[in-house]
Amino acid sequence: MLKRRIIPVLLLKNGRMVKGKQFKDFRDTGDPVMATRVYNAQAADELVFLDIQASQEERGTLIETIERVSTEAFMPFSVGGGITSIQDIRDLLKAGADKVVITTAAVENPDLIAQGAEAFGKQCIIAGIDAKLEDGGYRVYTHSGTVRTDLDLIAHVKNMTRLGAGEIFINSIDRDGMMVGYDLPLIRMVSEATDRPVIAMGGAGNFQHLVEAMEAGAHAAACASVFHFGDNNPPRARAFVKNAGYPVKNIQR
Amino acid sequence: MNNLIRCKRCLLPETYETIEFDENGICNICRSAKVKQDDVDWDKRKELLDALIVKYRDKGDYDCIVPFSGGKDSTFQLWYLMTQYKLKPLVVRFNHGFLRPTIQKNVERTLKRLGADFIDFTPNWHVVRRVMLESFVRKTDFCWHCHSGIYSYPLQIAIKFNTPLIFWGEPLSEISHYYDYLNDEIEWEDETKFNMCRNLGITAEDMYGMINTPENPIDKRDLKPYTYPPLKELKRIGYCSVCLGSFVPWDYVPQGEIIRTELGWEADLLEGVPGEINKHGEKIECFLQGARDYIKFMKRGYTRVSQISAFHIRNDRFSADKLIPLIEQEGKRPPSLDVLLEYLGMDEAEFNKIVKGMTIPPYQHDYDHLRPAEKTWDFDQWYREDNRKKAAK
Amino acid sequence: MIGIIDYGMGNLRSVYNALDYVGLDAEIVGDAERLADYDHLILPGVGAFALAMQNLHSKNLVTPIREYIAAGKPFLGICLGMQLLASRGIEFGDSEGLNAVPGEVVPMDDLKEFPVPHVGWNNLEIVRNHPVYEGVKKDVDFYFVHSYHFQTPSDEWVIGTTDYGSRVVAAVAKGSVVGFQFHPEKSQAGGIALLENFANWDGSC
Repeated sequence: MLKRRIIPVLLLKNGRMVKGKQFKDFRDTGDPVMATRVYNAQAADELVFLDIQASQEERGTLIETIERVSTEAFMPFSVGGGITSIQDIRDLLKAGADKVVITTAAVENPDLIAQGAEAFGKQCIIAGIDAKLEDGGYRVYTHSGTVRTDLDLIAHVKNMTRLGAGEIFINSIDRDGMMVGYDLPLIRMVSEATDRPVIAMGGAGNFQHLVEAMEAGAHAAACASVFHFGDNNPPRARAFVKNAGYPVKNIQR
Repeated sequence: MNNLIRCKRCLLPETYETIEFDENGICNICRSAKVKQDDVDWDKRKELLDALIVKYRDKGDYDCIVPFSGGKDSTFQLWYLMTQYKLKPLVVRFNHGFLRPTIQKNVERTLKRLGADFIDFTPNWHVVRRVMLESFVRKTDFCWHCHSGIYSYPLQIAIKFNTPLIFWGEPLSEISHYYDYLNDEIEWEDETKFNMCRNLGITAEDMYGMINTPENPIDKRDLKPYTYPPLKELKRIGYCSVCLGSFVPWDYVPQGEIIRTELGWEADLLEGVPGEINKHGEKIECFLQGARDYIKFMKRGYTRVSQISAFHIRNDRFSADKLIPLIEQEGKRPPSLDVLLEYLGMDEAEFNKIVKGMTIPPYQHDYDHLRPAEKTWDFDQWYREDNRKKAAK
Repeated sequence: MIGIIDYGMGNLRSVYNALDYVGLDAEIVGDAERLADYDHLILPGVGAFALAMQNLHSKNLVTPIREYIAAGKPFLGICLGMQLLASRGIEFGDSEGLNAVPGEVVPMDDLKEFPVPHVGWNNLEIVRNHPVYEGVKKDVDFYFVHSYHFQTPSDEWVIGTTDYGSRVVAAVAKGSVVGFQFHPEKSQAGGIALLENFANWDGSC
């Protein structure tokens, strides 16, 4: 049986890790290579790195960071931020990433999802969606939450699925860093609209929230603040989720 | 008693770290303890220890390094290695800054009676203060300097003195499920374990980035005592860093008896813990232990009273019915909390707010009914430093 | 010295990193004439069976690999590398494999609850003992990523399985050849233990 995943998310800026609230107010949370070593020791199920700088000038820094991370990451990991071309995907996979998260380009150039899935396999391609609740409905945002689109959320999820995204990474801008729990209706809507595994992100403040995301249909619960700001680590999270009745990974030490 | 789900045998609650319950409601730590008692071949383990010591004796400046707080476990460790194996150890203490008078006396007596070289290292208090605050705010655990220093500094010393064998004491298999006795494992005290569950997930490199700000810069070298040495250097000396408790069945009740009779080691009272369950003197090496325990109660709804009793229950020395009234008494506000708040420069409302944000579900703490715990005899001897006014400015 | 065979199918770096992490000497090798110089060979890879065989042929690697295996030297296939050990693969037509372990590689059924690819942590059931399992705990999870699976005519060569809707072959072995469908290099301590065991194995059973 496939195990449920708890995925620490590491935001990168100039080669350091940061964490903010609602995509703003970033604080330093450490060195990504050392953090990877720690998460490896703690047998985290998977890691996601998101480059929030994502400018073309900084591309080299990102690739270099990912190369260093891959020498410590004996678990699958994904990288997102500023991916606009097949060449970007190829560079990241070559640097050691197992998958990529494509968010802004998935809106601006949806064909990139299809091309990526064809070139590297759909398991390599995660469609990222940043959503915000406005006037009772969800809006899709791009460019790290700064640009509002007119896309219908559900239509976008279905389109991503059709184009061959292997997983859907749904991130609530409202809940980011707030530690008050995931946006469960959002997770439910997205999970119902796709047969791909859904990774829920945004709002986890404790382990009960991880369980709630899974109850709402997420296959994996991604979180950052839980581990950066809290007396928590992946082995403790796995024990909690297991006690709540979900299968989690058995590890060898 | 609060309404947490508890192990049917030892009564540890669902908020205890890494606990998992089986279909009979028995926790993984109790199951592991049963394997330790019934299935582990301790004679074979002892032979492994013999072989290890043959391999490393006379190989460096010392036969081994013994990281040492002077508490019950490390005192037994030292006594055992020096009397049963006639080893020449280098005893290393990373002084966390909160040693109590009884421990200081115990350490002096133990070292004089056994006769061993001793390195006592105390890191810069100004740095300690800053990392305490940082790790408390991020993790509600102010002990990062202690966890990180205790488990990395002795390895730095091992490299300096070219002494590859490092003996730690109590295995984690006794108290958590990060490791267990189920698979015949030896617990290596290596970097993996350090990162898994010793350093709160914050390496010294991380900490440097967190506290080094333009307004308040810090010298990177100040974090060196908390830095795990590079694997290359450890491999160069052929290091072997391991828990004695992986070879000798760890049980601190008879061990406490041995150090009392052989070395005159004295126990002491702990804030908030009834003396009758802690005759063996657990955790008496730190005067902030009461405050640490109080934070745990606010977050997880249990204290060391439950932990000590669970250990006694697993070893058939205590019954669950006797524990229940003690659980009702848990969670009193310790006098050491004031000492801690002064160090951190923080008022209690802010302190409560931080802890409240990191409570482990489903526990919910009652912040309205404070019950004070009694001072221990040595309270007035503890170092005081009030940074709250400074912080207000 | 362990050789990691480079034939243009996916990232070899992570296998190298895992070996390097535990201090095992390894290098990436694409030169057919040099294969025989190594004590151990690893054939990693992700992608399509037919293309992979094509690449092995065009780099003249098929014959030296077969000779290496025939000499009884330890050989490990990972993911696509394990599938290539089969007699044939049915993917974009029918192609011949390395024929080191009897079997065929066929598409997995895409069921609603069990979407293909099979991606994630799944437990390895050890169905037969093998030197590579030394010290590996029962029921540990390993990381899988695949859309095709290995089917054997008999269970004789199956040493590990996993459950994904139905039984999936997760590890095969025959003589000095071992194959893992999952990625040991991405499976933390359990996976690294398997790689270390392989590196310490002389190929005999």
